[in-house]
Amino acid sequence: MSQDLKQPNGTDILRVDGLSKKFGGLKATDGVNFSVQENSITALIGPNGAGKTTVFNLITNIFPPDEGTVAFFGKQIAGWSPMDIANLGLIRTFQSARVFPGLTVLENVMVGRHRLIKSSDFGQMLWSPESRREEMRIRSQALAMLKIVGLERFKDAHAVDLPMGAQKLLEVVRAVMGSPRLLCLDEPAAGLNDTETEELAALLRAIRAAGISILVVEHNMSLVMNVADHVVVLDAGRVIAAGSAAEVQRNPQVIEAYLGREQNAAA
Amino acid sequence: MAEVLQIFVGGVLLGAIYALIALGFSLIYRVTGVVNLSQGGFAVLAALAGYTFSQRLGLPLPIALLCAVGGTTVVGLAIGWFTFVPALKKLSNANVLMLTVGILTLIEGFSLIVWGSQPYSVPAFSGEQPLEIGGLRITTQTFWIIGTAIVIFLAVWFVISRTKVGKALRACSENPSAAALMGINVKRMTLLSFTLATLIAAVAGVVVAPTTTLQFNTGQLFTISGFIAVVIGGISSFPGAIVGGLFLGLVTQFATAYVSSLFSNAIALILLLFILIYAPTGLIPSKITRRQDVREEPRVWGHLTRLAPQTAWIAAAVGIVIAVVVPLVIPAAYISSLTIAAIIFLALIGLDLLMGYTGQVSLGQAGFMAIGGYTAGYLSINYGIEPVFGIAAGVMLSLLSALVLSIVTLRLRGLYLALATLAFGLLIDSCAIGFIDITGGPSGMVGIPSFSVGPLYFDTPMSMYFLVVAVDVVVLFCLFGALRTSFGRALQSIRSDQMAASALGINIVRYKLAVFMISAALASISGSLLAYSFNFLAPEMVGTARSLELVSMLVIGGEGTLVGPVFGSVLLTMLPTIFQPLAMYKTFFSGALLILCFLYLPRGMYGVIAHAMSRVSTPKTVANSQGLAEGGAQ
Ligand SMILES: Nc1ncnc2c1ncn2[C@@H]1O[C@H](COP(=O)(O)OP(=O)(O)OP(=O)(O)O)[C@@H](O)[C@H]1O
Ligand SMILES: [Mg+2]
Repeated sequence: MSQDLKQPNGTDILRVDGLSKKFGGLKATDGVNFSVQENSITALIGPNGAGKTTVFNLITNIFPPDEGTVAFFGKQIAGWSPMDIANLGLIRTFQSARVFPGLTVLENVMVGRHRLIKSSDFGQMLWSPESRREEMRIRSQALAMLKIVGLERFKDAHAVDLPMGAQKLLEVVRAVMGSPRLLCLDEPAAGLNDTETEELAALLRAIRAAGISILVVEHNMSLVMNVADHVVVLDAGRVIAAGSAAEVQRNPQVIEAYLGREQNAAA
Repeated sequence: MAEVLQIFVGGVLLGAIYALIALGFSLIYRVTGVVNLSQGGFAVLAALAGYTFSQRLGLPLPIALLCAVGGTTVVGLAIGWFTFVPALKKLSNANVLMLTVGILTLIEGFSLIVWGSQPYSVPAFSGEQPLEIGGLRITTQTFWIIGTAIVIFLAVWFVISRTKVGKALRACSENPSAAALMGINVKRMTLLSFTLATLIAAVAGVVVAPTTTLQFNTGQLFTISGFIAVVIGGISSFPGAIVGGLFLGLVTQFATAYVSSLFSNAIALILLLFILIYAPTGLIPSKITRRQDVREEPRVWGHLTRLAPQTAWIAAAVGIVIAVVVPLVIPAAYISSLTIAAIIFLALIGLDLLMGYTGQVSLGQAGFMAIGGYTAGYLSINYGIEPVFGIAAGVMLSLLSALVLSIVTLRLRGLYLALATLAFGLLIDSCAIGFIDITGGPSGMVGIPSFSVGPLYFDTPMSMYFLVVAVDVVVLFCLFGALRTSFGRALQSIRSDQMAASALGINIVRYKLAVFMISAALASISGSLLAYSFNFLAPEMVGTARSLELVSMLVIGGEGTLVGPVFGSVLLTMLPTIFQPLAMYKTFFSGALLILCFLYLPRGMYGVIAHAMSRVSTPKTVANSQGLAEGGAQ
């Protein structure tokens, strides 16, 4: 099938080694190790507060780790600014959808392309033909992307008027517009209903088929089981299991972590 | 030695005043995370009211002062209730800061209407005869002021640390959303802190009044000094307010005594800039940390105002036709005033780029106008240089200053950036007044030639008008080109969410720098044109009051709309000219309009007009169809 054109090929593109971060006395992550293979969909799962978002923030250097290293395509990116990391091709989304207010849906998607823009500011000020052509090109690409996720009807709506689920999709599309080599998604399915989640799964596979590796944090297990080539389970800041979806599902520690959480929640 | 002690006492006195105002800042900041620049306005309002009650109405002093303080506090409560508290829910922090500029303007305008523009001096509470203590001469008012300050500090400390209300206030400052969950009424606490801050400012105002001359706009000075003090000390800690106030008071006094009174301001400002660079959290930083990966300002403040391209082109053409026809039909006397509006619009375009599009508050934009105006004027008068080169020289100097200032401000955000630009504007102010040999000092620079290019002279109001309009149109055309494409999208993404923008690889520093430079250059050109058009330039034409007026014009016209500010500029420039008797109400109305626009018309006059136009041209439906609603349900 076309969506399986590209498969994990065994090369690690992202390698996380011994990442630790303390907030006050709390160890949000504690020596986290894992890696992401080229052309794979890797899922990072774990109960609430396990430190998944913190791992993302450490990888993209929203704040620096206390210890540990992050290597992307063999480059040590610890200490790089979030912008430089993005420009290496590692683009993330946020858990709380962060679409830009004040811009339309279409414009939000177009922002995603920004890092690849060629025309200069002066060219734009002088309405140069290249900048106008580029603008047209980006616009049609963005429209095509919106069409894929079924949001093109709302292209001129104010982005923050969309419901949460649609905003999260919009954020994924915006990130894809930046042609990432690794796309990091923080709970993209939050706020989506079942059909939409299936569509998201298809979208993720299509993205992978286009040669973009994915690291996804997700609570929705059916989505994870459905798309993930590799699953890493985090609990209380530590990696407690890693492997294929089926392996992880059978792992007693994982069951314990999830059950323990449910019991606590019930209590 | 006695001399040093004498200066020291003066410094402590001044410091106590600053610390009182600073305390109010810190009180509100802790609860809301924003700074209320209207603080000083309330102090002066209470002081002037106290003057009227005791001197005019002949009430006994204690009663008069009580009425003044009480009345001001009630006014503060009302203003807090109707403007500040609702604004916190609707506006970004930067815009709330500007809203408080509006409140300050409103209070000043009110004082101008009631008390006029003449200075007042108020007698001391216990006679003018100073006490002699160990060779020091200390005025009796000093004791009143320092005593009041101590009482207030103790009272605030007691309330905050020993009472239930204080506990709630502290909970709000540590984590407002958690406090709300614990059943604390955050809105009420906000109002309480606002009112308490007003009360403190009012008390400070009436006790300080005898030591200074009061004018309707003295409040600005109080605000600015208190603000500087609080930043020096550390904005979110109460001891910081006291330390910062005393430190600033002592430095200014010693600088006045041993350097010169002109440079005491400059020294305070340079001190401030150093602190902003090396210890941006102040001398006594607080320990509050916030999660950075969640959005700090979840409020919905983004508004979408879009004209369809055809409508926009038609509107632009109509606009140009109006701009050309109006001067031909209105009385000749109004043309120069229209020219001023067009000149100021140029500075406003830059400010809109900076504030409206990129969300960087500048309260010192007139500083660049001053640099542009004085440089061009000086070179033209003394060296007979071509005006075009005079303007270019001004732009160069402005860009240089902007670059230096950026090195400080790029690391700063929101509040601190506003403060750094304010400090810059004040620094330029004091240079304009102080360097008499170059600028002509307070009485201004005279004999600036009219604008000319080679043999072309623009020495009539009409010719100057068309020149300025042409410049405006060219600038608008270029900026519109950039703003409608990736440049504009980058700015708007930076405005609303810097973290998400940088996660997409957008170079925030580069864009902020570019926008700051463009706005400085435009303000500089505007200042130069102002000088050439008046043939005269005085400090108040390009001073801090102008900077604040620019903010009002921007908001009234419509921020983030590029052309919107023209409405603000024309309205606030032309109305006082056309209705001369109303001129004294101008300040009041610009403050009131700013507040109203922020609360009810987020895109100002432009928003109203654009809305009407898009109604007419395309009856469009907004996204709220079936698919959207379903997508929301999980
Ligand atoms: N910036 C921060 N400051 C303080 N504490 C933080 C910060 N970021 C995360 N934490 C804490 O670290 C722990 C891990 O949080 P994190 O957001 O990484 O969890 P998560 O696995 O993403 O959970 P969820 O599934 O709820 O999103 C939590 O206890 C959280 O409160
Ligand atoms: Mg999370």
